[in-house]
Amino acid sequence: MKLSSFMDSAYPQERAPTRPSKGRKDMIFSLEDLADRIGERPDRSSVEELVGEERSQIDLLLSSQPGKRCALIWGYISSLAAEKSPEALHLPSFDYAGLELAKGCIMMDRAGDHVGERMRGGRIVVQQEAGDYLGQEMKGGGIVAASCRDYAFRQMKGGWGVVKGDAGKFLGLGNTGGRIAVQGSCGQRAGWMMRSGRLYVRGDAGEYLGLLMSGGEIRILGSAGRRAGWQRKGGSIAAGRLGQEAADGVLELG
Amino acid sequence: MPDPKSKIEQLVSSLEELRLHLGRKDLLIGGDRINAQLYFCLANSCLRGRAILLYGGMGANKTTLINLLGTSFLGLDLDRVEDLMVTGHPEQTEEKIVGFLDPRQWTGQKEGPVQVLWTDWASSRWKLVNEINRFPSGKQNLFLEILQKRRISYAGQVCRPGETCYFATMNPEFSATYPLDQALLDRISACVPAYQPDFLAGLLLSEREKEVRDLAGMLPRFTESEFSSLPQLVAGRPLSSQVELAVLCLIRDFTLCERAPSFDKTQLSGSKPSLGLCSGCHYHNNPEAICWQADEGLSDRVRQDLRIFCRAFAFLLDREADLEILRAIAPYVIWHRITPLTSLLERPPYFGAGKLAYTAKMVDKSINRTMNERREINLIYSRAVDEEISASEAIEELSSFDDPIARMDFIPSLESRQ
Repeated sequence: MKLSSFMDSAYPQERAPTRPSKGRKDMIFSLEDLADRIGERPDRSSVEELVGEERSQIDLLLSSQPGKRCALIWGYISSLAAEKSPEALHLPSFDYAGLELAKGCIMMDRAGDHVGERMRGGRIVVQQEAGDYLGQEMKGGGIVAASCRDYAFRQMKGGWGVVKGDAGKFLGLGNTGGRIAVQGSCGQRAGWMMRSGRLYVRGDAGEYLGLLMSGGEIRILGSAGRRAGWQRKGGSIAAGRLGQEAADGVLELG
Repeated sequence: MPDPKSKIEQLVSSLEELRLHLGRKDLLIGGDRINAQLYFCLANSCLRGRAILLYGGMGANKTTLINLLGTSFLGLDLDRVEDLMVTGHPEQTEEKIVGFLDPRQWTGQKEGPVQVLWTDWASSRWKLVNEINRFPSGKQNLFLEILQKRRISYAGQVCRPGETCYFATMNPEFSATYPLDQALLDRISACVPAYQPDFLAGLLLSEREKEVRDLAGMLPRFTESEFSSLPQLVAGRPLSSQVELAVLCLIRDFTLCERAPSFDKTQLSGSKPSLGLCSGCHYHNNPEAICWQADEGLSDRVRQDLRIFCRAFAFLLDREADLEILRAIAPYVIWHRITPLTSLLERPPYFGAGKLAYTAKMVDKSINRTMNERREINLIYSRAVDEEISASEAIEELSSFDDPIARMDFIPSLESRQ
């Protein structure tokens, strides 16, 4: 039997080519491939332009394991996928998931670092622990995490974040908006240089709560560590109990 | 004319009704949901010269199931079948397993060839190696010669038991077990997990009032001619071209490696994907490429095993030997022969424990790719081989495809024809 007859019997129907219409050389096979085309500084618009609308292409890239070089790109792709998905998108715990997310919902068992960074809308739910920089520079949308490490919601401008357990150090650093609720406790320097927005902690807060704060509102139901409101210029801080050397004007709820 | 097929169906229902085997239906082929442990054993009973390995914890009905099937297929008592198996332990020797020199020949006056007393196991056509991983590594070498062979030699003498069915069982790694050698694993056609009975099966098993030994006598028995006719009946099942093509591409997907000698991953020694061989390779981290995801390539034995087990399952389930069957059985034929990258296997949903599921995913990817994305390259290559188009034209066309088979198989092959 001729090889071509064998192949013809293996592929009986004449089907439309499965390759994308943009030309076979434009197919992106891996994140590395995409990174080569984008260059050193990936941004959302260039990723969106190159990846296009095709679902299979997005899925292919989303299923790759991103190295350090491709972490940002993978993050943008995760947002594109979530925005196109009619239901919540389950993602593995890579860094930068939901980067600049505008809508849709992302579910994760654990989260790496920088999850939900610069997000503008949508929801991110992390069932277990999240890494550093959760929701950094977010402008809208909401994040729910079981717990998180340091620098969560740093320079937050809008939206909301809920941490069901404990948060790490430097929670809400430099915030200019948004709302943060922590059902457990948070580490030192929460609300550091906060200018606006709200921070609510049901448990305790570490030392230097609201350090150099100039606006916004901090409420701690438990006790605050030493030097709460240190060099505060504005805003309000209230805590169930205050530690040593609390600044003037910091309210003890008792 | 014997009808062994209906007898196999009776055997399956008898095993369930007599509460002798109530395994979970964990294998889905088309619309049929079946128990992989039972059906792989049945498929192997219909073949000759193939070996399957049942892998699982203690009391998962591995040894008993094989002995029960032996009772039925050989038409012997369970006690007699149990005498036919060898069990692994460090003190087992070739003499105890295969046979030993007849000492009486040294005292007599008769001259002639050396006399060997073959063991029942050696001369049987139903060979069970129980707890195979309790044989020390050196002694496992004995089975390299025996598995899939029709003859056993010892002291210059040869025992020819005829076409034989080989079975083996093993527990997971315990303190008294030894790792199985890759060459031995390659001679095992399929490895099937044997699971503990689930809740309902446990309840049903507790209803079993008689001993297994007594119930074994109630299983249907095959006649010698029925048992012998099974391989021909299996061989009569044709394989579709799609299956043949998918099998070929599957083997190449695992075996091709851009950095191995002759692109053949089975040539690698020392360096392998898990030790950084693929770092910087074009295909590395491409989820559609299989090559970097497993350390080992696949031998031609896998191709033979996939084809013959597809036929056997088609016979058992009375359906076409199609891609559905291949998709279902290929993971069992491959997973014990490969070591997927730990970094991939440890991710959810595998958590380091789902090697079979991970292998199934790789198999699925390969088959899907062959049936869809590879269509064009396969057609171009076949037309070039049949000289319907020129080799140089085909090479130019193929070089625009980023597929390992096109790059490492088809293009070099066409270049050598120019």
